Amino acid sequence: MVTRQVLSRPAYAAMAAGVFAAMLVPMLSLSGFVFFEPYVVGHVPPGSEASLAMIVALSGLSAVVIPVNVYGIRARMGRPGGFFGSALGAAVGSCGCGPATLALVSAFGPAGAAASAFLANYEMPLRAAALGVLLASWWASSRSIRAACRVGQK
Amino acid sequence: MNARYAVAAAAAVVAAAALVAYSAAPEAPAGEARTHGSVSTAMGSPVLGDPDAPVTIVEFGDYQCHQCYNWFHNSKPQITERFIDSGEANLVFVDMAFLGRDSPKAAQATYCAGDQGEYWRYHDMLYKMQEPAIDGGWASAERLKAFAFALNLDQQEFDSCLDSGKHSKRVQSNVSEARKAGVTGTPTFVIVGPGGEQKISGAQPYPVFERTIESVA
Repeated sequence: MVTRQVLSRPAYAAMAAGVFAAMLVPMLSLSGFVFFEPYVVGHVPPGSEASLAMIVALSGLSAVVIPVNVYGIRARMGRPGGFFGSALGAAVGSCGCGPATLALVSAFGPAGAAASAFLANYEMPLRAAALGVLLASWWASSRSIRAACRVGQK
Repeated sequence: MNARYAVAAAAAVVAAAALVAYSAAPEAPAGEARTHGSVSTAMGSPVLGDPDAPVTIVEFGDYQCHQCYNWFHNSKPQITERFIDSGEANLVFVDMAFLGRDSPKAAQATYCAGDQGEYWRYHDMLYKMQEPAIDGGWASAERLKAFAFALNLDQQEFDSCLDSGKHSKRVQSNVSEARKAGVTGTPTFVIVGPGGEQKISGAQPYPVFERTIESVA
């Protein structure tokens, strides 16, 4: 109900679309589902379906939770947990065999390698944790906004 | 008398320096100074396929990289069947061993197998046996030796090669070459042919390779 009210405002709907695209496209690219060079192509390797579903779910949920959080923060009723969940989800997606890992290894040596290995090895549980943080943040923000509105109505 | 000692000492220093330089130099495959386009592959794998094929696919990879595993299982079989077996292209693997502490050792193990003429069988075995956890133990020294045993290699020769770090400088040299080539992740491919050179980043599907190979052939 609260979510529908927030997203019915054009500015928040645009924010949701922007967050969805800003999360989805880089995560799909970093995880090897979409390539832009030398040709634009999408590809889901067998066995990677769960990872793809998690990325879509994280992006979709972030697109809902962040506008609700922003609405709540602006009305002094929200919590910034949605940002943490989104950042965690994106960070997990950025590690693997890609440039982020190489940068970590180059900058921090064995410690960077260990950190990137941790993120890569626990990719699915960490993404599930990010989804959990987002869901908790969504529930908490919606509840506090709803409660404040009820108080406001009296 | 003193001058004679000084000359002898200088000669000894020069000889020692030459010996150290020789032993520190990575061991290149016999008589090769191989390059493909802008990439030096002299320290890389043996050529898979016809060495005179017009197109060469240079793959930069890490044996612990899951995307390399994906490419090996999903795209490589079709590329091998369509281009390598037909003599239209060949493939060279250059190590970009950066993901974990077991990555360089796994790369060294392939060259120890290569000393016995079994580089590609060992390479294939690593990508077939890869497990998802980086540094999770699947590419430990003991497991690498067990893979050699499974391939019926001369175990004593393989073990002493791996334990001595005989090919460690070769692997380091490949990593340097990969960085020089601008590789920032694995797998990365450089496709070299008479029509030019193209880079492909990531475990891209077969049709991308088909179009790229045909565009440089």
